[in-house]
Amino acid sequence: MRILVLAQDEVLRLLSTRRGLIALVGFLLIWIAVLRYGILPVAALIDDAQLSGLVEIILSGLGIEDVRSWPTPELAVYWVITLYLLPFFALMASADQTASDRSRGTLRYLVMRCSRVEIFLGRFLGQCIIMLLVVLVTLASVLLVIMFYSPDNLAPALAKTPLIAVNLVIVVAPYVALMALVSVLARSARQATLYAFIIWISVSLLVGYLQAKFGPLTLLDWALPGSQIGQLLRLSNWDTLSFAIIPVVHTAFFLGIGAVLMRQRDL
Amino acid sequence: MNPIECQGLTKRFGSTIALDNVTLSLPAGEPIALIGPNGAGKTTLLSLLCGFIKPTSGDVTVFDESPGARELSGRLSALPQDALLDPRISVGRQLRLFAKLQGMSNVLAREEVERVLHLVDLQDSIDTKPSNLSHGMRKRIAIAQALLGSPKLVLLDEPTAGIDPPNAKMIRDLIREQSGHTTFVVSSHNLDELERLCGSVVYLEKGKLISVGSVSDDTQDDYLTVRMGTVVESEFIQAVESIPGISAITKTARGDYLIKTLSDMQASASLMQLFVDKGWRYRQISRGKSLEERLYGDQS
Repeated sequence: MRILVLAQDEVLRLLSTRRGLIALVGFLLIWIAVLRYGILPVAALIDDAQLSGLVEIILSGLGIEDVRSWPTPELAVYWVITLYLLPFFALMASADQTASDRSRGTLRYLVMRCSRVEIFLGRFLGQCIIMLLVVLVTLASVLLVIMFYSPDNLAPALAKTPLIAVNLVIVVAPYVALMALVSVLARSARQATLYAFIIWISVSLLVGYLQAKFGPLTLLDWALPGSQIGQLLRLSNWDTLSFAIIPVVHTAFFLGIGAVLMRQRDL
Repeated sequence: MNPIECQGLTKRFGSTIALDNVTLSLPAGEPIALIGPNGAGKTTLLSLLCGFIKPTSGDVTVFDESPGARELSGRLSALPQDALLDPRISVGRQLRLFAKLQGMSNVLAREEVERVLHLVDLQDSIDTKPSNLSHGMRKRIAIAQALLGSPKLVLLDEPTAGIDPPNAKMIRDLIREQSGHTTFVVSSHNLDELERLCGSVVYLEKGKLISVGSVSDDTQDDYLTVRMGTVVESEFIQAVESIPGISAITKTARGDYLIKTLSDMQASASLMQLFVDKGWRYRQISRGKSLEERLYGDQS
Protein backbone atom coordinates (compact mmCIF):
# COMPACT_ATOMS: atom_id res chain seq x y z
CA MET A 1 0.00 0.00 0.00
CA ARG A 2 2.76 2.41 0.95
CA ILE A 3 4.58 1.42 -2.25
CA LEU A 4 1.54 2.54 -4.25
CA VAL A 5 1.36 5.84 -2.33
CA LEU A 6 5.03 6.45 -3.08
CA ALA A 7 4.60 5.45 -6.75
CA GLN A 8 1.67 7.84 -7.10
CA ASP A 9 3.74 10.59 -5.50
CA GLU A 10 6.60 9.90 -7.91
CA VAL A 11 4.28 10.42 -10.89
CA LEU A 12 2.82 13.61 -9.39
CA ARG A 13 6.33 14.82 -8.56
CA LEU A 14 7.25 14.66 -12.22
CA LEU A 15 4.12 16.50 -13.25
CA SER A 16 4.29 19.18 -10.57
CA THR A 17 7.95 20.18 -10.64
CA ARG A 18 9.47 22.50 -13.18
CA ARG A 19 12.31 20.07 -13.82
CA GLY A 20 9.87 17.23 -14.46
CA LEU A 21 7.75 19.34 -16.76
CA ILE A 22 10.82 20.54 -18.68
CA ALA A 23 11.89 16.89 -19.13
CA LEU A 24 8.42 15.98 -20.38
CA VAL A 25 8.12 18.97 -22.70
CA GLY A 26 11.64 18.24 -23.97
CA PHE A 27 10.71 14.65 -24.72
CA LEU A 28 7.46 15.70 -26.38
CA LEU A 29 9.33 18.11 -28.67
CA ILE A 30 11.78 15.36 -29.57
CA TRP A 31 8.88 13.04 -30.17
CA ILE A 32 7.10 15.52 -32.43
CA ALA A 33 10.34 15.75 -34.44
CA VAL A 34 10.59 11.94 -34.55
CA LEU A 35 6.98 11.71 -35.67
CA ARG A 36 7.25 14.44 -38.28
CA TYR A 37 10.67 13.67 -39.71
CA GLY A 38 11.01 9.98 -38.83
CA ILE A 39 7.84 7.94 -38.62
CA LEU A 40 5.75 9.83 -41.19
CA PRO A 41 8.25 9.91 -44.11
CA VAL A 42 9.58 6.41 -43.47
CA ALA A 43 6.07 5.03 -43.20
CA ALA A 44 5.14 6.79 -46.46
CA LEU A 45 8.24 5.36 -48.11
CA ILE A 46 7.36 1.86 -46.95
CA ASP A 47 3.81 2.34 -48.16
CA ASP A 48 5.08 3.21 -51.64
CA ALA A 49 7.71 0.49 -51.61
CA GLN A 50 5.09 -2.15 -50.80
CA LEU A 51 3.70 -1.58 -54.28
CA SER A 52 7.09 -1.75 -55.94
CA GLY A 53 8.32 -4.74 -53.97
CA LEU A 54 11.20 -2.87 -52.32
CA VAL A 55 9.58 -3.02 -48.92
CA GLU A 56 11.52 -6.05 -47.66
CA ILE A 57 14.83 -4.38 -48.49
CA ILE A 58 13.92 -1.17 -46.63
CA LEU A 59 12.53 -3.01 -43.64
CA SER A 60 15.41 -5.41 -43.30
CA GLY A 61 17.60 -2.30 -43.22
CA LEU A 62 15.54 -1.18 -40.24
CA GLY A 63 15.66 -4.62 -38.70
CA ILE A 64 12.05 -5.58 -39.46
CA GLU A 65 11.66 -8.67 -41.58
CA ASP A 66 7.93 -9.31 -41.65
CA VAL A 67 6.03 -6.12 -42.41
CA ARG A 68 2.83 -7.96 -43.16
CA SER A 69 2.49 -8.86 -39.51
CA TRP A 70 2.10 -5.14 -38.73
CA PRO A 71 -1.29 -3.58 -39.47
CA THR A 72 0.35 -0.34 -40.70
CA PRO A 73 3.90 0.74 -41.56
CA GLU A 74 3.60 3.61 -39.03
CA LEU A 75 3.37 1.12 -36.16
CA ALA A 76 6.24 -0.93 -37.54
CA VAL A 77 8.49 2.15 -37.65
CA TYR A 78 7.23 3.24 -34.22
CA TRP A 79 8.26 -0.18 -32.86
CA VAL A 80 11.79 0.18 -34.20
CA ILE A 81 12.30 3.76 -33.05
CA THR A 82 10.89 3.36 -29.54
CA LEU A 83 12.80 0.13 -28.87
CA TYR A 84 15.98 2.20 -29.20
CA LEU A 85 14.78 5.64 -28.06
CA LEU A 86 12.84 4.80 -24.89
CA PRO A 87 15.72 3.14 -23.02
CA PHE A 88 17.74 6.37 -23.38
CA PHE A 89 14.82 8.43 -22.17
CA ALA A 90 14.41 6.03 -19.23
CA LEU A 91 18.09 6.42 -18.32
CA MET A 92 17.80 10.21 -18.32
CA ALA A 93 14.36 10.59 -16.76
CA SER A 94 14.71 8.11 -13.91
CA ALA A 95 18.20 9.05 -12.72
CA ASP A 96 17.04 10.86 -9.59
CA GLN A 97 14.89 8.29 -7.84
CA THR A 98 16.50 8.68 -4.42
CA ALA A 99 19.85 10.46 -4.98
CA SER A 100 18.98 14.10 -4.33
CA ASP A 101 16.51 13.14 -1.58
CA ARG A 102 19.38 11.40 0.19
CA SER A 103 21.84 14.29 -0.12
CA ARG A 104 19.16 16.79 0.96
CA GLY A 105 18.03 14.66 3.90
CA THR A 106 14.45 14.33 2.64
CA LEU A 107 14.76 10.54 2.79
CA ARG A 108 15.00 10.81 6.58
CA TYR A 109 11.47 12.17 6.71
CA LEU A 110 10.28 9.23 4.62
CA VAL A 111 12.06 6.46 6.52
CA MET A 112 10.31 7.57 9.69
CA ARG A 113 7.10 6.42 8.01
CA CYS A 114 7.95 3.52 5.74
CA SER A 115 10.76 1.07 5.12
CA ARG A 116 13.71 1.83 2.88
CA VAL A 117 12.76 -1.00 0.54
CA GLU A 118 9.25 0.42 0.23
CA ILE A 119 10.74 3.78 -0.76
CA PHE A 120 13.07 2.09 -3.25
CA LEU A 121 10.35 -0.02 -4.87
CA GLY A 122 7.76 2.77 -4.73
CA ARG A 123 10.00 5.15 -6.63
CA PHE A 124 10.86 2.40 -9.16
CA LEU A 125 7.19 1.60 -9.70
CA GLY A 126 6.42 5.30 -10.11
CA GLN A 127 9.06 5.62 -12.80
CA CYS A 128 7.67 2.56 -14.58
CA ILE A 129 4.21 4.15 -14.54
CA ILE A 130 5.74 7.33 -16.00
CA MET A 131 7.33 5.24 -18.76
CA LEU A 132 3.97 3.55 -19.40
CA LEU A 133 2.35 6.99 -19.71
CA VAL A 134 5.06 8.06 -22.14
CA VAL A 135 4.48 4.91 -24.19
CA LEU A 136 0.72 5.49 -24.21
CA VAL A 137 1.07 9.15 -25.22
CA THR A 138 3.49 8.35 -28.04
CA LEU A 139 1.33 5.45 -29.16
CA ALA A 140 -1.71 7.73 -29.16
CA SER A 141 0.15 10.19 -31.38
CA VAL A 142 0.91 7.43 -33.88
CA LEU A 143 -2.69 6.22 -33.77
CA LEU A 144 -3.80 9.79 -34.54
CA VAL A 145 -1.54 9.75 -37.59
CA ILE A 146 -2.98 6.38 -38.66
CA MET A 147 -6.53 7.69 -38.13
CA PHE A 148 -5.72 10.63 -40.38
CA TYR A 149 -3.83 8.86 -43.16
CA SER A 150 -5.25 5.32 -43.18
CA PRO A 151 -8.43 5.16 -41.07
CA ASP A 152 -9.16 1.62 -42.31
CA ASN A 153 -6.13 0.37 -40.40
CA LEU A 154 -7.06 2.06 -37.14
CA ALA A 155 -8.94 -0.91 -35.64
CA PRO A 156 -6.14 -3.47 -36.19
CA ALA A 157 -3.59 -0.88 -35.04
CA LEU A 158 -5.58 -0.29 -31.85
CA ALA A 159 -5.69 -4.04 -31.26
CA LYS A 160 -1.92 -4.09 -31.41
CA THR A 161 -1.36 -1.33 -28.84
CA PRO A 162 -1.57 -3.50 -25.69
CA LEU A 163 1.13 -5.77 -27.10
CA ILE A 164 3.39 -2.81 -27.90
CA ALA A 165 2.78 -1.07 -24.56
CA VAL A 166 3.45 -4.19 -22.49
CA ASN A 167 6.58 -5.00 -24.46
CA LEU A 168 8.01 -1.50 -24.27
CA VAL A 169 7.47 -1.22 -20.53
CA ILE A 170 9.18 -4.59 -20.07
CA VAL A 171 12.05 -3.40 -22.28
CA VAL A 172 12.62 -0.19 -20.30
CA ALA A 173 12.11 -1.76 -16.84
CA PRO A 174 15.75 -2.91 -16.45
CA TYR A 175 16.99 0.57 -17.39
CA VAL A 176 14.75 2.12 -14.74
CA ALA A 177 15.90 -0.54 -12.26
CA LEU A 178 19.55 0.17 -13.10
CA MET A 179 18.94 3.87 -12.42
CA ALA A 180 17.19 2.97 -9.15
CA LEU A 181 20.31 1.06 -8.15
CA VAL A 182 22.82 3.77 -9.08
CA SER A 183 20.56 6.41 -7.53
CA VAL A 184 21.10 4.67 -4.18
CA LEU A 185 24.86 5.12 -4.60
CA ALA A 186 24.83 8.65 -6.02
CA ARG A 187 24.24 12.06 -4.49
CA SER A 188 22.67 13.66 -7.57
CA ALA A 189 20.95 12.73 -10.82
CA ARG A 190 24.07 13.69 -12.76
CA GLN A 191 26.24 11.43 -10.62
CA ALA A 192 23.74 8.59 -10.99
CA THR A 193 23.83 8.92 -14.78
CA LEU A 194 27.62 8.91 -14.68
CA TYR A 195 27.65 5.75 -12.54
CA ALA A 196 25.23 4.06 -14.94
CA PHE A 197 27.50 4.77 -17.91
CA ILE A 198 30.56 3.54 -15.98
CA ILE A 199 28.75 0.30 -15.10
CA TRP A 200 27.55 -0.06 -18.68
CA ILE A 201 30.97 0.44 -20.24
CA SER A 202 32.67 -1.79 -17.64
CA VAL A 203 30.24 -4.66 -18.23
CA SER A 204 30.54 -4.23 -22.03
CA LEU A 205 34.33 -4.38 -21.82
CA LEU A 206 34.20 -7.37 -19.48
CA VAL A 207 31.81 -9.25 -21.75
CA GLY A 208 34.01 -8.45 -24.76
CA TYR A 209 37.09 -9.67 -22.90
CA LEU A 210 35.44 -12.90 -21.75
CA GLN A 211 34.04 -13.58 -25.23
CA ALA A 212 37.49 -13.06 -26.73
CA LYS A 213 39.15 -15.28 -24.14
CA PHE A 214 36.65 -18.13 -23.90
CA GLY A 215 34.82 -17.89 -27.23
CA PRO A 216 31.13 -17.03 -27.77
CA LEU A 217 29.12 -17.65 -24.63
CA THR A 218 25.35 -17.39 -25.04
CA LEU A 219 24.82 -16.39 -21.44
CA LEU A 220 27.14 -13.39 -21.81
CA ASP A 221 25.18 -12.26 -24.88
CA TRP A 222 22.30 -11.46 -22.53
CA ALA A 223 24.38 -9.78 -19.83
CA LEU A 224 23.53 -6.19 -20.76
CA PRO A 225 20.02 -4.71 -20.63
CA GLY A 226 18.58 -4.35 -24.12
CA SER A 227 20.55 -7.25 -25.54
CA GLN A 228 17.26 -8.81 -26.67
CA ILE A 229 16.17 -5.76 -28.69
CA GLY A 230 17.71 -7.05 -31.90
CA GLN A 231 15.62 -10.22 -31.59
CA LEU A 232 12.48 -8.26 -30.75
CA LEU A 233 12.72 -6.31 -34.00
CA ARG A 234 12.04 -9.51 -35.91
CA LEU A 235 8.81 -10.19 -34.02
CA SER A 236 5.47 -8.44 -33.94
CA ASN A 237 3.01 -10.61 -32.06
CA TRP A 238 2.69 -11.92 -28.52
CA ASP A 239 5.69 -14.14 -29.25
CA THR A 240 7.70 -11.00 -28.40
CA LEU A 241 7.07 -11.94 -24.76
CA SER A 242 9.19 -15.05 -25.24
CA PHE A 243 12.15 -12.68 -24.68
CA ALA A 244 10.56 -11.02 -21.62
CA ILE A 245 12.48 -13.29 -19.27
CA ILE A 246 15.73 -11.45 -20.10
CA PRO A 247 14.62 -7.94 -19.04
CA VAL A 248 12.69 -9.43 -16.13
CA VAL A 249 15.84 -11.15 -14.85
CA HIS A 250 17.87 -7.95 -15.39
CA THR A 251 15.23 -5.93 -13.51
CA ALA A 252 15.09 -8.39 -10.60
CA PHE A 253 18.89 -8.44 -10.43
CA PHE A 254 19.24 -4.65 -10.28
CA LEU A 255 16.34 -4.26 -7.87
CA GLY A 256 17.74 -6.97 -5.60
CA ILE A 257 21.16 -5.34 -5.35
CA GLY A 258 19.61 -1.88 -5.06
CA ALA A 259 17.29 -2.96 -2.24
CA VAL A 260 20.18 -4.48 -0.27
CA LEU A 261 22.25 -1.31 -0.69
CA MET A 262 19.28 0.85 0.20
CA ARG A 263 18.85 -1.04 3.47
CA GLN A 264 22.52 -0.85 4.35
CA ARG A 265 23.46 2.74 3.52
CA ASP A 266 23.50 5.41 6.20
CA LEU A 267 21.14 8.30 5.67
CA MET B 1 9.69 -1.06 29.61
CA ASN B 2 10.68 2.53 28.81
CA PRO B 3 10.19 3.86 25.27
CA ILE B 4 13.93 4.19 24.66
CA GLU B 5 16.34 1.43 25.64
CA CYS B 6 20.00 1.35 24.63
CA GLN B 7 22.35 -1.40 25.72
CA GLY B 8 26.09 -1.09 25.08
CA LEU B 9 25.40 1.06 22.06
CA THR B 10 28.49 1.86 19.99
CA LYS B 11 28.82 3.58 16.65
CA ARG B 12 32.05 4.02 14.76
CA PHE B 13 32.62 6.06 11.61
CA GLY B 14 35.86 4.60 10.31
CA SER B 15 38.38 4.97 13.12
CA THR B 16 36.28 7.58 14.95
CA ILE B 17 34.08 6.43 17.81
CA ALA B 18 31.00 8.61 17.70
CA LEU B 19 29.17 6.73 20.47
CA ASP B 20 30.95 4.54 22.95
CA ASN B 21 29.16 1.75 24.82
CA VAL B 22 26.13 3.80 25.85
CA THR B 23 23.57 2.09 28.07
CA LEU B 24 20.49 4.17 28.60
CA SER B 25 16.82 3.86 29.47
CA LEU B 26 14.59 6.90 28.96
CA PRO B 27 11.03 7.03 30.29
CA ALA B 28 7.93 8.60 28.80
CA GLY B 29 6.73 11.86 30.31
CA GLU B 30 8.45 15.21 30.67
CA PRO B 31 10.72 16.43 27.86
CA ILE B 32 14.24 15.02 28.05
CA ALA B 33 17.26 17.19 27.28
CA LEU B 34 20.13 15.68 25.32
CA ILE B 35 23.21 17.79 25.82
CA GLY B 36 26.92 17.77 25.27
CA PRO B 37 29.57 19.69 23.37
CA ASN B 38 30.04 19.40 19.61
CA GLY B 39 31.07 15.87 18.69
CA ALA B 40 29.59 14.44 21.89
CA GLY B 41 27.44 11.98 19.95
CA LYS B 42 24.01 13.62 20.33
CA THR B 43 23.08 13.53 16.65
CA THR B 44 24.55 10.03 16.33
CA LEU B 45 22.35 8.80 19.19
CA LEU B 46 19.24 10.40 17.68
CA SER B 47 20.12 9.01 14.23
CA LEU B 48 20.45 5.52 15.72
CA LEU B 49 17.09 5.87 17.45
CA CYS B 50 15.48 6.93 14.17
CA GLY B 51 17.14 4.14 12.19
CA PHE B 52 19.02 6.54 9.88
CA ILE B 53 22.23 4.71 10.76
CA LYS B 54 22.95 1.28 12.21
CA PRO B 55 24.96 0.62 15.37
CA THR B 56 28.41 -0.91 15.12
CA SER B 57 27.57 -2.94 18.22
CA GLY B 58 25.01 -2.98 20.99
CA ASP B 59 21.24 -2.93 20.99
CA VAL B 60 18.72 -0.14 20.68
CA THR B 61 14.94 -0.37 20.86
CA VAL B 62 12.19 2.23 20.65
CA PHE B 63 8.84 1.09 22.05
CA ASP B 64 10.37 -2.38 22.10
CA GLU B 65 10.93 -2.29 18.31
CA SER B 66 14.10 -1.98 16.31
CA PRO B 67 14.56 1.52 14.83
CA GLY B 68 13.16 1.67 11.32
CA ALA B 69 10.48 -0.96 12.05
CA ARG B 70 7.20 -0.19 10.32
CA GLU B 71 5.40 -0.59 13.67
CA LEU B 72 7.02 2.70 14.72
CA SER B 73 5.40 4.65 11.89
CA GLY B 74 3.17 7.25 13.51
CA ARG B 75 4.47 6.47 17.02
CA LEU B 76 8.01 7.81 16.66
CA SER B 77 8.79 10.99 14.82
CA ALA B 78 11.76 13.31 14.53
CA LEU B 79 13.19 16.61 13.45
CA PRO B 80 16.48 15.43 11.94
CA GLN B 81 19.34 17.89 11.92
CA ASP B 82 19.94 19.58 8.55
CA ALA B 83 17.26 17.54 6.76
CA LEU B 84 15.33 19.56 4.20
CA LEU B 85 12.03 19.07 2.49
CA ASP B 86 12.02 18.95 -1.30
CA PRO B 87 12.28 22.64 -2.23
CA ARG B 88 10.30 22.14 -5.45
CA ILE B 89 7.11 20.71 -3.99
CA SER B 90 4.58 22.57 -1.86
CA VAL B 91 4.68 22.13 1.90
CA GLY B 92 1.11 20.83 1.96
CA ARG B 93 1.71 18.13 -0.63
CA GLN B 94 4.82 16.83 1.09
CA LEU B 95 3.16 16.74 4.48
CA ARG B 96 0.09 15.03 3.01
CA LEU B 97 2.39 12.35 1.58
CA PHE B 98 3.91 11.81 5.03
CA ALA B 99 0.45 11.58 6.58
CA LYS B 100 -0.71 9.07 3.97
CA LEU B 101 2.41 6.99 4.56
CA GLN B 102 1.39 6.93 8.22
CA GLY B 103 -1.82 5.27 7.09
CA MET B 104 -4.20 8.22 6.86
CA SER B 105 -6.83 8.56 4.15
CA ASN B 106 -6.72 11.52 1.74
CA VAL B 107 -9.35 13.42 3.72
CA LEU B 108 -7.75 12.69 7.09
CA ALA B 109 -4.28 13.56 5.76
CA ARG B 110 -5.56 16.93 4.52
CA GLU B 111 -7.15 17.71 7.90
CA GLU B 112 -4.09 16.56 9.82
CA VAL B 113 -1.75 18.70 7.73
CA GLU B 114 -3.94 21.74 8.36
CA ARG B 115 -3.91 20.95 12.09
CA VAL B 116 -0.12 20.71 12.43
CA LEU B 117 0.47 23.77 10.26
CA HIS B 118 -1.96 25.64 12.51
CA LEU B 119 0.08 24.50 15.53
CA VAL B 120 3.18 26.19 14.12
CA ASP B 121 1.13 29.16 12.88
CA LEU B 122 1.97 28.49 9.24
CA GLN B 123 -1.40 27.46 7.88
CA ASP B 124 -1.06 30.10 5.15
CA SER B 125 2.08 28.40 3.84
CA ILE B 126 0.31 25.18 2.87
CA ASP B 127 0.68 25.89 -0.87
CA THR B 128 4.13 27.47 -0.59
CA LYS B 129 7.28 25.73 -1.69
CA PRO B 130 9.95 25.35 1.02
CA SER B 131 12.42 27.28 -1.14
CA ASN B 132 10.23 30.37 -0.68
CA LEU B 133 10.22 30.17 3.13
CA SER B 134 12.66 31.66 5.63
CA HIS B 135 14.98 29.45 7.69
CA GLY B 136 12.81 29.83 10.79
CA MET B 137 9.64 29.01 8.87
CA ARG B 138 11.24 25.92 7.34
CA LYS B 139 12.24 24.79 10.82
CA ARG B 140 8.67 25.24 12.05
CA ILE B 141 7.38 23.28 9.05
CA ALA B 142 9.86 20.52 9.89
CA ILE B 143 8.53 20.47 13.45
CA ALA B 144 4.98 20.37 12.09
CA GLN B 145 5.83 17.23 10.10
CA ALA B 146 7.13 15.66 13.30
CA LEU B 147 3.75 16.23 14.95
CA LEU B 148 1.68 14.56 12.21
CA GLY B 149 -0.55 11.93 13.75
CA SER B 150 0.33 13.00 17.32
CA PRO B 151 3.22 10.56 17.83
CA LYS B 152 4.06 9.29 21.30
CA LEU B 153 7.75 10.11 21.01
CA VAL B 154 9.35 13.01 19.12
CA LEU B 155 13.11 13.46 18.79
CA LEU B 156 14.15 17.04 18.05
CA ASP B 157 17.74 17.64 17.00
CA GLU B 158 18.57 21.28 17.72
CA PRO B 159 15.07 22.61 17.03
CA THR B 160 15.98 26.25 17.74
CA ALA B 161 19.49 26.34 16.27
CA GLY B 162 20.04 29.34 14.02
CA ILE B 163 16.59 30.83 14.36
CA ASP B 164 15.47 34.17 15.74
CA PRO B 165 14.11 34.61 19.30
CA PRO B 166 10.39 34.88 18.36
CA ASN B 167 10.53 31.65 16.35
CA ALA B 168 12.57 29.95 19.09
CA LYS B 169 9.99 30.99 21.67
CA MET B 170 7.17 29.66 19.52
CA ILE B 171 8.94 26.31 19.24
CA ARG B 172 9.54 26.13 23.00
CA ASP B 173 5.89 27.00 23.68
CA LEU B 174 4.79 24.32 21.23
CA ILE B 175 6.93 21.66 22.90
CA ARG B 176 5.54 22.69 26.28
CA GLU B 177 1.94 22.50 24.99
CA GLN B 178 2.39 19.12 23.32
CA SER B 179 4.38 17.50 26.10
CA GLY B 180 1.20 16.41 27.88
CA HIS B 181 0.67 13.58 25.42
CA THR B 182 4.03 13.38 23.62
CA THR B 183 7.46 12.68 25.05
CA PHE B 184 10.08 14.95 23.52
CA VAL B 185 13.80 14.31 23.46
CA VAL B 186 15.43 17.65 22.67
CA SER B 187 19.05 18.06 21.67
CA SER B 188 20.37 21.60 21.99
CA HIS B 189 23.34 23.72 22.96
CA ASN B 190 21.05 26.25 24.60
CA LEU B 191 21.18 25.10 28.23
CA ASP B 192 18.90 27.88 29.47
CA GLU B 193 16.27 26.72 27.05
CA LEU B 194 16.60 23.08 28.04
CA GLU B 195 16.58 23.92 31.73
CA ARG B 196 13.24 25.67 31.38
CA LEU B 197 11.77 23.06 29.07
CA CYS B 198 12.94 19.67 30.25
CA GLY B 199 12.51 17.52 33.32
CA SER B 200 15.57 15.35 32.90
CA VAL B 201 18.89 15.60 31.17
CA VAL B 202 21.18 13.15 29.37
CA TYR B 203 24.75 14.38 29.17
CA LEU B 204 27.14 12.98 26.56
CA GLU B 205 30.77 13.83 26.05
CA LYS B 206 33.16 12.40 23.46
CA GLY B 207 30.67 9.66 22.69
CA LYS B 208 30.37 8.50 26.29
CA LEU B 209 27.36 8.80 28.54
CA ILE B 210 28.46 11.01 31.43
CA SER B 211 25.22 11.33 33.37
CA VAL B 212 21.44 10.97 33.32
CA GLY B 213 19.46 12.90 35.90
CA SER B 214 16.93 15.52 36.80
CA VAL B 215 17.32 19.07 35.50
CA SER B 216 16.47 20.44 38.97
CA ASP B 217 19.02 18.62 41.11
CA ASP B 218 17.97 18.68 44.80
CA THR B 219 21.51 17.92 45.94
CA GLN B 220 22.49 21.45 44.87
CA ASP B 221 20.09 23.18 47.30
CA ASP B 222 22.93 24.82 49.22
CA TYR B 223 23.49 27.15 46.27
CA LEU B 224 21.60 30.19 45.04
CA THR B 225 22.03 31.60 41.56
CA VAL B 226 21.33 35.32 41.37
CA ARG B 227 21.13 37.50 38.28
CA MET B 228 21.36 41.18 39.16
CA GLY B 229 20.49 44.42 37.47
CA THR B 230 23.18 47.09 37.44
CA VAL B 231 25.28 46.90 40.61
CA VAL B 232 28.89 47.66 41.48
CA GLU B 233 30.38 44.18 41.54
CA SER B 234 32.88 44.63 44.37
CA GLU B 235 30.30 46.36 46.58
CA PHE B 236 27.74 43.63 45.86
CA ILE B 237 30.14 40.77 46.62
CA GLN B 238 31.33 42.43 49.83
CA ALA B 239 27.75 43.01 51.02
CA VAL B 240 26.65 39.47 50.26
CA GLU B 241 29.69 37.91 51.91
CA SER B 242 28.82 39.79 55.12
CA ILE B 243 25.43 38.06 55.38
CA PRO B 244 25.45 35.34 58.04
CA GLY B 245 24.90 31.87 56.54
CA ILE B 246 26.59 32.70 53.24
CA SER B 247 29.95 31.03 52.91
CA ALA B 248 31.07 32.03 49.40
CA ILE B 249 30.10 34.04 46.33
CA THR B 250 31.55 33.78 42.84
CA LYS B 251 30.66 35.34 39.52
CA THR B 252 29.95 32.87 36.73
CA ALA B 253 31.00 33.17 33.11
CA ARG B 254 27.43 34.20 32.25
CA GLY B 255 27.51 37.10 34.72
CA ASP B 256 25.31 35.43 37.35
CA TYR B 257 26.40 35.24 40.99
CA LEU B 258 26.69 31.77 42.47
CA ILE B 259 26.19 31.97 46.23
CA LYS B 260 27.00 29.07 48.56
CA THR B 261 24.74 29.06 51.61
CA LEU B 262 24.26 27.07 54.75
CA SER B 263 20.48 27.38 54.47
CA ASP B 264 19.04 28.52 51.16
CA MET B 265 15.71 29.72 52.63
CA GLN B 266 17.30 31.87 55.29
CA ALA B 267 19.92 33.17 52.86
CA SER B 268 17.20 34.05 50.35
CA ALA B 269 15.35 36.08 52.95
CA SER B 270 18.56 37.85 53.99
CA LEU B 271 19.44 38.60 50.38
CA MET B 272 16.02 40.08 49.68
CA GLN B 273 16.36 42.29 52.74
CA LEU B 274 19.80 43.39 51.49
CA PHE B 275 18.36 44.30 48.08
CA VAL B 276 15.60 46.35 49.74
CA ASP B 277 18.05 48.12 52.01
CA LYS B 278 20.48 48.94 49.18
CA GLY B 279 17.83 49.58 46.54
CA TRP B 280 19.35 46.94 44.26
CA ARG B 281 17.19 45.36 41.58
CA TYR B 282 17.57 41.68 40.90
CA ARG B 283 16.50 39.99 37.69
CA GLN B 284 16.31 36.38 38.79
CA ILE B 285 16.96 34.26 41.87
CA SER B 286 16.90 30.49 41.60
CA ARG B 287 17.74 27.65 43.95
CA GLY B 288 20.72 25.49 43.11
CA LYS B 289 23.25 25.85 40.32
CA SER B 290 22.20 26.48 36.76
CA LEU B 291 22.54 23.51 34.40
CA GLU B 292 25.54 25.19 32.81
CA GLU B 293 27.27 25.63 36.20
CA ARG B 294 26.59 22.04 37.16
CA LEU B 295 28.00 20.69 33.90
CA TYR B 296 30.81 23.08 33.16
CA GLY B 297 31.25 25.16 36.33
CA ASP B 298 34.41 23.39 37.43
CA GLN B 299 36.03 23.89 34.02
CA SER B 300 35.96 27.70 34.16
